[in-house]
Amino acid sequence: MSPLARPKSEKRAVRRAGEAGRRVEYLSFVLAGEMYAVQIAHVAEILRPPPITEVPRAPSTVLGVISVRGKLVTVVDLRRRFRLPEASFDRKTRVLLADVGTGEQIGLLVDEVQQVWRLAAQEIEQSNVLGGEQPAHIAGIGRPSGGAAILILLDLRPILEST
Amino acid sequence: MLVRRVLVVEDSTSARAFVRAVLESPEFAGPQGGCEVVEASSGFDAMRLLPRGPWDLIVTDINMTDINGLELIRFIRKSEHHRGTPLVIISSLRAEQDVERGLALGADAYLPKPFTPEQLRGACARLLVGAREAAGPSEPPAGGP
Amino acid sequence: MVEGGGGRGEGGDKARDEFFSEAQELIDGLGRDLLGLDEALKKGEPEAELINDVFRAVHTLKGLSGLFGATRMAGLSHELEDVLDDLRLGRIELTSGVLDLLFQAVSLYGRLLSAETGAGSEPAQDVEQMLLALGQMSQRRRGGGAGVVSQYELDPGLLGVLTEYEEHRLRTNIQQGLNLYRIRVRFSLATIDSALDDLKAKARPHGEIITYLPTGSGADIDTIELEVLIASRATLEMLRTAIAGPNVAIEGVRRRSGPSAPPAVAATTPPPGEPRPATAESFASTPSVSLTGAPPARETSSFRAPEEGEEGRAGHAPSIVPVASGRSAGPGAAGPAAGKELSLRSVTQTVRVDIRKLDRLMTIVGELAIVRTAMANLTDRVRGRATDARELAIELARLSRTFERHLAQMQSGILEVRMVPLGQAFDKLARVVRQISREHGRDVNLVVTGAETEIDKLIVEELSDPLMHMIRNAIDHGIEPKDERLRVGKPPVGTIALNAFQKGNHVVIEVEDDGRGMDPRALLAAAVRRGVVTADESKDLTAREVLALVFMPGFTTKEVATDLSGRGVGLDVVRTNIGKLGGIVDIASDIGIGTKMTITLPITLAIINVLLVEIGARLFAVPLANVEEAIALDETQVRTIESREVLTVRGASLPICRLARLFGLAPAARERSRAFVVIAQVGNRRLGFVVDELVGQQDIVIKPLGKSLRTVRGFAGATELGDQRVALVIDVAALIEEVLMPGETRFLAAAEGGRA
Repeated sequence: MSPLARPKSEKRAVRRAGEAGRRVEYLSFVLAGEMYAVQIAHVAEILRPPPITEVPRAPSTVLGVISVRGKLVTVVDLRRRFRLPEASFDRKTRVLLADVGTGEQIGLLVDEVQQVWRLAAQEIEQSNVLGGEQPAHIAGIGRPSGGAAILILLDLRPILEST
Repeated sequence: MLVRRVLVVEDSTSARAFVRAVLESPEFAGPQGGCEVVEASSGFDAMRLLPRGPWDLIVTDINMTDINGLELIRFIRKSEHHRGTPLVIISSLRAEQDVERGLALGADAYLPKPFTPEQLRGACARLLVGAREAAGPSEPPAGGP
Repeated sequence: MVEGGGGRGEGGDKARDEFFSEAQELIDGLGRDLLGLDEALKKGEPEAELINDVFRAVHTLKGLSGLFGATRMAGLSHELEDVLDDLRLGRIELTSGVLDLLFQAVSLYGRLLSAETGAGSEPAQDVEQMLLALGQMSQRRRGGGAGVVSQYELDPGLLGVLTEYEEHRLRTNIQQGLNLYRIRVRFSLATIDSALDDLKAKARPHGEIITYLPTGSGADIDTIELEVLIASRATLEMLRTAIAGPNVAIEGVRRRSGPSAPPAVAATTPPPGEPRPATAESFASTPSVSLTGAPPARETSSFRAPEEGEEGRAGHAPSIVPVASGRSAGPGAAGPAAGKELSLRSVTQTVRVDIRKLDRLMTIVGELAIVRTAMANLTDRVRGRATDARELAIELARLSRTFERHLAQMQSGILEVRMVPLGQAFDKLARVVRQISREHGRDVNLVVTGAETEIDKLIVEELSDPLMHMIRNAIDHGIEPKDERLRVGKPPVGTIALNAFQKGNHVVIEVEDDGRGMDPRALLAAAVRRGVVTADESKDLTAREVLALVFMPGFTTKEVATDLSGRGVGLDVVRTNIGKLGGIVDIASDIGIGTKMTITLPITLAIINVLLVEIGARLFAVPLANVEEAIALDETQVRTIESREVLTVRGASLPICRLARLFGLAPAARERSRAFVVIAQVGNRRLGFVVDELVGQQDIVIKPLGKSLRTVRGFAGATELGDQRVALVIDVAALIEEVLMPGETRFLAAAEGGRA
């Protein structure tokens, strides 16, 4: 499965959005070769990683803190969080500023940010179908029609609250 | 474009802010134009601002310290320049006697607190339309902006 | 009750923020006024004005909460307003039982406002109970007629412009035999505010001002003529002397002679004739009802009317037992609105600013503008013809110094604006003390000194809750019951002294009680029993360390003294919170005499002067307020005593801590030939931090780390150093505690699952 397959055209997806019912917008990104997505409403900003200052004795999933226009933001390494193999930064690495209304924005380090998908209800599969013990942060699977893309939809709240 | 000038007399800051927000909102402005709200925080303040009319509408609370709303209404209705200005009392329902007195002194309507934005708009719109029809050419402000 | 549109989006978020701000102020003011009423009640002083102030505040809150969609608050206000109206119109008597209920209502307001801002959950059940209790108390009845007023030669239209309350005050004053006077004044609209304050100040000692009537035609736009109606026991001459002035004319209001004019309104008026000195009974249509406040009964768990009678009709005096304390079973759950761990924080982030502080800031801005002009000129000259570079350099240096000076002044000016008097937190505490002491049946006197000491607003906010914990602890465990106190020769009323003062860069707050004190042996025994320390370790602890055990998590002195609140006191939370503010808590106690807790805090959070240091090739900042000095490390002077490294400095021993090791940071690439020791101090504890390099001194703006990093100990925050680099700011107090009290660290680490 090529996780980087895209639909024939964004335009078609947009057109279909008008026809179908309510759609939710998701932002997809790559992490260790897999495609993940989060609701775009929860992403306040996308940044090129500024210098990250390590915080001694912080939990291992915390990479450190960064300064965003004078405000301090904690940065979490999603690879460590999901126990994926480590990788080094490259020019595509980004930090997503996630905000789920807990009062604090958290920075999430990802390999590459891709695009916005508008998923209708029928394109989303709830997580229990995957069977077995399901980590709380996986909200489901998104299969945008018209493409072979499979998106692992993330629920940010457990990630942000447990940090 | 006609801007209607409204004097709001009320000792609570946020209540004034609320009234201002409702009356100055584009929803309330008609094709004729919108409102400009001037805030007075007390009876004295109101008396200081009155000469800066003319006013298309006066909205006042009754229960204020020192010069209460009733005294203000009487003063307004006795004055030459403002006796014809439409006047709405905003007050709490419990003070029935106060409201009666206010109407007896010449207020045109009363709006019991708490009121919704719709109710405020409704009461004011009725009175503002009436004023436009009754008034002649507007007088220039006496004391400057 | 009609729900307002809420002002959400409609009235704008700005209006809504204004609402929270104003509501918070009103609630704070209510608390203060109720305390004033409490005092007045005890001394038997008149309370009419205070009751009216409380009524007005609740009335305003009702209006506001209705407008902004806070339905529960509006509902509470509605009932409360009825009771307060009854109080101010004399239909109900103000007793301590009623006052208790009012205090609880104010607490409820605070919680409801928190819920509105999303900071807390709605105390629905408590509100229901409060509404019930208030409803039973209220005596909504029409007042008497206008008969008494018509006996005076007053403007017939007067009654038509008095509000119901003003009319009541007029009648009451007449019935109490006071004289009425008219003061005619003319003010210029420009100066009316100060002239009015002046008049009020002169008149107030002599009587009560009933109302202000604007007279005159309003034709003159610069002046305003008023008739002030005042009731007073003084004679006309006395008043004329007291309230003299160029535009002031005073005359008495004459009584109509002969049989008084017939009463204007029907049935329920007092018989014609001389007005009798009145009690509330003579003009109300039914006998007034007085409520008794029974001593708090701890067994009952809700408000209830007694079985015997119903409220209302003439003849019955219902007694309602407001239950202040409550279900003693179960942790912490006391009666409604009482005893729960309420937060005393304000819900808003606003600060009231003395305008003179702002004026000073504007002056400094003016100075800076001058510097800017001078700099512009200098720039022109540099750009222009060839000039003497040295001369320019000197001028530039001078300008730069001036600029720095003004900038520093501006900085401290702005910091000053953030400062608020500690009295803000102390006022709220007074209320809590009253509530808790009634709950536990203890008589406690709170003595406050130094309330004018100023500290950063954010710190004040964070202090309210820890102080409340400490005071609750003092009342729970410290102050003994009355008979016990008398037995040991103490006065029956316990005292808690709250004292605050500034000491250099710090503010010290002392909470001292004259209770039973703490017994170190009993403490130690309890600690060993609960596994907080082992029997072996217990032998090594100094007296001070034993006392400090009360700050350990999970440590309750339940077995040491009769614990009335049924659970631990949470002093560990207090210490953590104070630590987060960069402060430290100390405790001293003498058994039988009392306990004293001392909090030492830095004055301001925002801008601090730090020493930048390098540790493991990374930059860190150490607040200079906690730095005694910095010296080069002489490794030959380091010894290890009981697994702790100690440095001998000028003959004295100083424990040291190698931060690179503590932080788990890899050492810098090249071999370190030398290191430095930053000698830090908080309170009277010292510790030397070993660092790689001293980089320099700087003023920084410290920012808090997010909640996500709350488990990381040792950092007070971080700061941006320019070009987005961030340096962590070391929390000296926390590290000193961690390093110097190893016993604790071990237990804390165990509690956190080994993550230290």
